[in-house]
Amino acid sequence: MSTLTDTDVSIDQLLDRPWITVVWDDPVNLMTYVTYVFIKLFNFSAARAHELMMQVHNEGRAVVSTGTREEMERDVQRLHEHGLWATLQRDDKI
Amino acid sequence: MSNFERMGDGYSLSLTQDEAHILINLVEQLLELLGEGDFFHHYDNSDPLAQLMAMPSEIVTPDDPVLMRLLPNAYSDPEAASDFRRYTEPALRGSKQRVLRAVREELTVIVDSKIDGVVEELDADTWLIALNDLRIALSVRLEIDGESFEKFELLPDEDPQKSVYAVYFWLGWLQENLLTALTS
Repeated sequence: MSTLTDTDVSIDQLLDRPWITVVWDDPVNLMTYVTYVFIKLFNFSAARAHELMMQVHNEGRAVVSTGTREEMERDVQRLHEHGLWATLQRDDKI
Repeated sequence: MSNFERMGDGYSLSLTQDEAHILINLVEQLLELLGEGDFFHHYDNSDPLAQLMAMPSEIVTPDDPVLMRLLPNAYSDPEAASDFRRYTEPALRGSKQRVLRAVREELTVIVDSKIDGVVEELDADTWLIALNDLRIALSVRLEIDGESFEKFELLPDEDPQKSVYAVYFWLGWLQENLLTALTS
């Protein structure tokens, strides 16, 4: 059994910011549909899904998930399957 | 008036013959735009082998704005977007085609009957996605934005854009109707 030492976590990994999935506003998707899709894909509560939908509507975008690049690619793909306009990027907050 | 209704564990949709015709025409036009030939693919687009076969460089960013909205870039960086598209677009396209084909099959029954009919035990998610993709396609052609309602309302009745907008508006009403049936 090996012991985890400081050198096992590289500086790169420490600096590695997570990836985020962003949903963008569009004039077509119904507010009720966007809320429905958020609940279906991310298991949000109705209140949380509604809050994120309103953020998309009012601010033009909302972050709906955070994780590894692969996970975010999967989320974006599922959102595209449902006709929502989504992209992924590195979290630029840090 | 067409209407989604809860029936036991599932949902049904009543359609007049005219409504079924409008829907099936749109569905077929969108299938054609998505590159669906008039032959039946026996392979499943999500099959890893099929994806590998469909992967060559011919998968490029679509020129058509409807396709660009239905199969959008996943990254703002063009190179990352194009890489991602090369690996994933066949599956996304396949998923949209499967949804539209399922709806087309159900509509065909009503259209062939030549009378008003009911789609019974329909899959709500399939219909939501299909209605949404049809609305997206029409919205791009109509250049829908936040002020479109007033703009199209003011068009003279003989303007062909006005009747397309009426169909777009009706599809939104249908989708809302299904969402209400689902969540009430």
